[in-house]
Amino acid sequence: MRIARPINRREMLSQAANGFGAVALAALLQDRAFGADQIPAAASQSPMGPRPSHFPAKAKSVIFLFMDGGPSQVDTFDPKPRLAKENGQKIKMDVPPTQFDNVGSVLKSPWEFKPYGKSGIPVSELFPNVGQCVDDLCIIRSMVADHSEHTNANYFMHSGLGMQGRPSMGAWATYGLGSVSQDLPGFVVLHSGMIPSGGVDCFTSGFLPATFQGSLFRAGRSPVADLELGEVTPERQRRMMGLMRGLDGHMMAKAGPEDKLEASISNYELAFRMQTAVPELVDIKGESEATRKLYGLDQEHTKIYGQQCLVARRMVERGVRFIELLCPAVGADRWDQHGNLKEGHEKNAAAVDVPIAGLLIDLKSRGLLDSTLVVWTGEFGRTPMAQGSNGRDHNPFGFSMWMAGGGIKGGTVYGATDDYGYYAIENKVTVHDMHATMLHLLGMDHKRLTYRFSGRDMRLTDLYGEVVHSILA
Amino acid sequence: MDPFNYGSFYGLCPRLLAFQPILCPISLFPLPGASIGSTILYAPRYNSHTLQSVGVTMRLTNRHFTNWSISEIVGSVPKLALLLAAIFVCGNASADAIQDKVGLEFFETKIRPLLAEECLSCHSVKSKPIQSELALDERNAILHGGSRGAAIVPGHPEKSLLVSALRGRNGAPDMPPKGRLTEQKIALIEEWIRRGAPWPAVTGSVHSTPKAAFNLQDRKSKHWVWKPISHPTVPQVKNRAWVKNPIDAFILSGLEAHSLTPAPAADRRTLIRRVTFDLIGLPPTTAEVDAFLNDTAPGAYERVVDRLLASPHYGERWGRHWLDLVRYAETYGHEGDYDKPGAYQYRDYVIRALNADVPYNQFVQEHVAGDLLANPRHNPAQGFNESILGTGFWWLGEGTHSPVDLLQDEADRLDNQIDVFGKAFLGLTMGCARCHDHKFDAISTRDYYAIAGFLRSSRYQLTPIESPQQMQATIDSLDRLANDRDELLRRALPAQAAHAAPSIPSGATLFEDFSKKSYAGWTATGQAFGAGPRQGALRAVPTAASFRVEAVTNSGAADSGFLSDRLHGVLRSRTFTIKNRHILYHVAGTGTEIRLIVSGLQLIQDPIYGGLRISLSGGDALHWVSQDVSKWIGYRAYIELVDNGPGHLLADRILFSDGDAPSEAGARLANFEESRKLSSEAVADLHAMDARRLDLEKSLSDPPRGLAMADGTGENDRVHIRGSYKSLGSEVPRRFLEALGSPAVARPDDGSGRLALARAMVAPTQTPLVPRVIVNRLWLHHFGEGIVRTPDDFGVMGQKPTHPELLDWLADNFISASNPPSNSNVKAGAAAAFSSNACGWSLKKLHRLMVLSNTYRMSSRIEPKSEQSDPTNRFVHRMPVRRLEAEAIRDAVLAVSGRLDTTLYGPSVMPYLSPYMEGRGRPGTSGPLDGAGRRSVYINIRRNFIPLFLLAFDYPVPFTCIGRRSTSNVPAQALAMMNNPFILEQSEVWAKRITADKQATTEERIRQMYQTAFSRPPDSSELVQATAFLAQQPGGSGALESWTDLCHVLFNVKEFLFLN
Repeated sequence: MRIARPINRREMLSQAANGFGAVALAALLQDRAFGADQIPAAASQSPMGPRPSHFPAKAKSVIFLFMDGGPSQVDTFDPKPRLAKENGQKIKMDVPPTQFDNVGSVLKSPWEFKPYGKSGIPVSELFPNVGQCVDDLCIIRSMVADHSEHTNANYFMHSGLGMQGRPSMGAWATYGLGSVSQDLPGFVVLHSGMIPSGGVDCFTSGFLPATFQGSLFRAGRSPVADLELGEVTPERQRRMMGLMRGLDGHMMAKAGPEDKLEASISNYELAFRMQTAVPELVDIKGESEATRKLYGLDQEHTKIYGQQCLVARRMVERGVRFIELLCPAVGADRWDQHGNLKEGHEKNAAAVDVPIAGLLIDLKSRGLLDSTLVVWTGEFGRTPMAQGSNGRDHNPFGFSMWMAGGGIKGGTVYGATDDYGYYAIENKVTVHDMHATMLHLLGMDHKRLTYRFSGRDMRLTDLYGEVVHSILA
Repeated sequence: MDPFNYGSFYGLCPRLLAFQPILCPISLFPLPGASIGSTILYAPRYNSHTLQSVGVTMRLTNRHFTNWSISEIVGSVPKLALLLAAIFVCGNASADAIQDKVGLEFFETKIRPLLAEECLSCHSVKSKPIQSELALDERNAILHGGSRGAAIVPGHPEKSLLVSALRGRNGAPDMPPKGRLTEQKIALIEEWIRRGAPWPAVTGSVHSTPKAAFNLQDRKSKHWVWKPISHPTVPQVKNRAWVKNPIDAFILSGLEAHSLTPAPAADRRTLIRRVTFDLIGLPPTTAEVDAFLNDTAPGAYERVVDRLLASPHYGERWGRHWLDLVRYAETYGHEGDYDKPGAYQYRDYVIRALNADVPYNQFVQEHVAGDLLANPRHNPAQGFNESILGTGFWWLGEGTHSPVDLLQDEADRLDNQIDVFGKAFLGLTMGCARCHDHKFDAISTRDYYAIAGFLRSSRYQLTPIESPQQMQATIDSLDRLANDRDELLRRALPAQAAHAAPSIPSGATLFEDFSKKSYAGWTATGQAFGAGPRQGALRAVPTAASFRVEAVTNSGAADSGFLSDRLHGVLRSRTFTIKNRHILYHVAGTGTEIRLIVSGLQLIQDPIYGGLRISLSGGDALHWVSQDVSKWIGYRAYIELVDNGPGHLLADRILFSDGDAPSEAGARLANFEESRKLSSEAVADLHAMDARRLDLEKSLSDPPRGLAMADGTGENDRVHIRGSYKSLGSEVPRRFLEALGSPAVARPDDGSGRLALARAMVAPTQTPLVPRVIVNRLWLHHFGEGIVRTPDDFGVMGQKPTHPELLDWLADNFISASNPPSNSNVKAGAAAAFSSNACGWSLKKLHRLMVLSNTYRMSSRIEPKSEQSDPTNRFVHRMPVRRLEAEAIRDAVLAVSGRLDTTLYGPSVMPYLSPYMEGRGRPGTSGPLDGAGRRSVYINIRRNFIPLFLLAFDYPVPFTCIGRRSTSNVPAQALAMMNNPFILEQSEVWAKRITADKQATTEERIRQMYQTAFSRPPDSSELVQATAFLAQQPGGSGALESWTDLCHVLFNVKEFLFLN
């Protein structure tokens, strides 16, 4: 039996920082039947305030660049000459069932690859700017996932289970580590125009307290729901909140020192601060012309994602723990080119290539890349053979992703797929391995980061996952 | 070597094998098995140290054979010839020994190092645990195999699981996990197996895979929850005056034992606010509060409670709690977030059932098997079957769009059903036993698949919500009319004017020809298909001047249009295994469809599954329709002939065939055209009959449909080894949990057997779980925490009850008959046993017991001394302060503003879609900002578009049973209350209402607002502050905006969001 260890709540609360931390602490204490003994070790301070990791962390923040829809590995980071040799021929291997079950012939990549950097790692024409940063990347060519359907794959990539309801990795990270930022949420999802299949449940806190839920920030001036005052002027709001503070006293007096109420009152103070902190965060007027250009803000097709990448850097500077970037709408579909591969992949790549390179360069020049883990991946890859004539179907059996920064050995390639680029055959990395490695770089042992739900101690990595030590610096 | 082109390799191997008996490198390899010593490898890594144990010879071997890879042998015939020549020269030992030695050598040099290198880190007898219980360092262990069975079949690499795993074939787990071995290495393993898997003689003991001990009886005896419900005696307490009912005695005895005193009684205003929110989820009106304050007669509070329990809003409030348990939503989620038709009918069923206080044992049985009850409950007003709607809960889970792996999808769907079933009714995490026996509880994997069998034998349906009784007279008339019409047609037409039964193409097999009198092997729902097949179906379709006769058959047919096109119904076949490439249907019809349900997949969608649905629009001529099912050969399936409304469907042949349909739609008789000529008398009669039919059809309506179960072909499930449908273990009879002593409850031929399951669940002698779990759920919602604080997990990993005797006392009284038997012979003593506390499974009586206790009437005020001794309030020394749930906050805003529309039931209101809610499946139009003023329980819950306002206040994601919501405290809550347009709008609605009375003074208005919002008048300080606030506004107290802002502030005062 798990009895909440006796805590003098009021005492704890008074010790905690008067801010987001205190608020969230109380949120957890309300859940003390489950939560109090589950707050990770050394939770003497607030759960949302920064907490010590299990061991020294390489990365303080994560920027997760989610390539929604599934970019093709053989057209981006995993060149396969055999596809050119056998272009148009029947593929000489057993093909597993695919989403559209419309298997065409081998399709060579429409794009050339060329080596970049000192490492000479080949990158396709789709990513000439990211290619310039290849010496900072570790490209994993042997990713495997469990699902061929977008939504299952999205849930799996985010939460380690291909179904609705499990906490997203950003929620786990903030649950484990809290956040340095005191007036911004610890887990932010930057919405550039495309919500992945499965919706906002990709970013849910699941069975963890809602404190750790991903906050969706839209691009533009008004990123957060209910943050704008609407018709209410700030002056009018200040008057209202002044009265509210006064009238809250009655219940406080009646209930006694009830920390649920105290916490709720503090929560309003944080909401207030967010009303100024968030606009300040997304206001990039103060950024130099060179920076704006670096992120592609001067170009129409890179503007939106560039702005979100820049906001991501600003969030890293403010101590936000986990930032996920969603794909922009580019006038073709997301990276899901069942047809129209050439145009679709080119538009998707063009929208993110300069901004991502800009982000890497900017982080590096500011000395932030060492402590920021940047992760680029889709929910799966695509088939080496065509679907129809100019498309590729889903392929979770072997695809490419890359990581950079915070503790990653740059300029390296890890793992390999077969000659067609269909199956990962060497040094396979599962999604659970990827999660374990990300948590490891954040200083957490994925096996120790648990939360009891449904009768067992749940993990981001479920029962699986091994840290991929070979890719660590 | 091309890793995917094995042709040349396989081509050569048999030849290599042919030479095997004469392979005899004796002098080179004098290696008796014994010299190897232990049969256990030096796991985990093969190294030079290992080699030393076999000495010089081994090194020699190395020199000669280290590079002896299959590819080289295959690729280099001259080398092979040389090798063989060398072998021929030296042999004189017996063939067996020779083979043994060669094989052993091959093993020692190639296979043992390879296994050590690639496999033994996980699959060794020394591994802890041994992965999949498979050890690869002893031959017998390999032959014995792991959880998936034997790893190799000596001599047959193609039949060996190990090879399948290495090649990632045949559904075997892809091994090794870190990436496929090189082709050369896999070929070596294959070669070794082909040689019969030579292995040195065993000297030590044979490894046998240790099984983790799972002792169900031991588990059962060690955990409280399996024990029968006890009959605890009500404890004696010191402060007897405090005890209003036995609940108080249990609570007080705990408090006294820990030197705690109960908090003082809450005042009347607090109490009525608390109990009103608790029972109906709305604030009390000013009039209700005043009535209670003014009711000085004894029993005033009891009268409030009884009024609330009789309110229809009770069902809405507690129905919403229930919906949390069954992951209620009205869409499938996933990629398209498709609508789940008929879902809201389940919600309305729950609300009606709770309002009607349907006994909980009945309610449970209706959920599990409401479609099978011999005497279902009928709606008192409309006569439709209520009980069947309870089964809708099974189908409220998410649904994958076009799943690539149909069997995995089916297994996951079943798992979600079992998970919700186990938690909601039994408080057990049965899902934990999917892959292995439960790690902590007395639930075996066999238990899991015993339950799964019930679900495999059950089907999805949308049941029409109508009263067959009320329709019966019309149907009888239609039936008479149809028969008269049929007879007329037969008289009017030459006898031979009928289709001969279509011949069965060669190679095809007949699945159904409807030649029997009944629909044997099929189940019909609705009225359209009648009680059985029609013999000789005729169709006379009106034309401008006459009638056209179509679809004439002399054989039997399922015909949904015989009585009327307006009737609806579905005919479902028995479940069968698809063995042929095509299903051929000989059918006629329009506006109807044929659906093939494969592995239970209901959400038939392109790109993969579109062909499983065939829409009929071919009119009344019988024709062949061919369905290509070649992708699903080997899958289990059943056919649905669906007539959902205007339209009809006639089928007289269903065939399975590898060929396509015959090109001719059944041979028509030569004189068929001739036969269509009807006499003018017949035409006149037909017109008259059709006029009569149209008249009768006016009383038929298109009924709404509700999610429900339909019984299918009874089938047991098999254990899925490690949870994988790819490795099936033994069959498990359908039955309830073994720990509850349940024998097999279903026979193969009597359908799913769910009814027996339902009965076993609510038999108190058999299961102590159902009553304990529901009693705890009610307690949780009234007292803030459950007696068991993990309401969905009563297992070992859950929390133990804080008050076990109270829990059992409540459970015992909950299920005890509430009225003494009318039998006058009952002795006085026995009658006393039927105490006033007995509920007879009535939830309302149980509520009454709880909220009338003195415990419930305590204040929530914090007393520092008690707080110190009991910081988590596990002894219930006071009532907790509780934040209202998302729905209660929204509903209270509407109630206070005056916007609340108290309409009960009906189709849901579409959610308001803010610009922050985007993504695939977004509905085309947003619902109104205020949800049309309806209570939150009537907002359409779309899995991918749950209203952000509700989510901010911890509305749960509907994926499993959520018996206890978290109550978090996030900035989104404050932001929503401060800035959400709904709150701004309702502030103004309220302000308009307040200022409508032009005569009222500012003070009167403020008083009224406080009464409405907080069920109390303002104190003087509050009055002063509010008045001053109004005066400070730019427009002063005369401006609507000033009042809007005051209303807005009151919504944000914590007293509005929290309950004392």
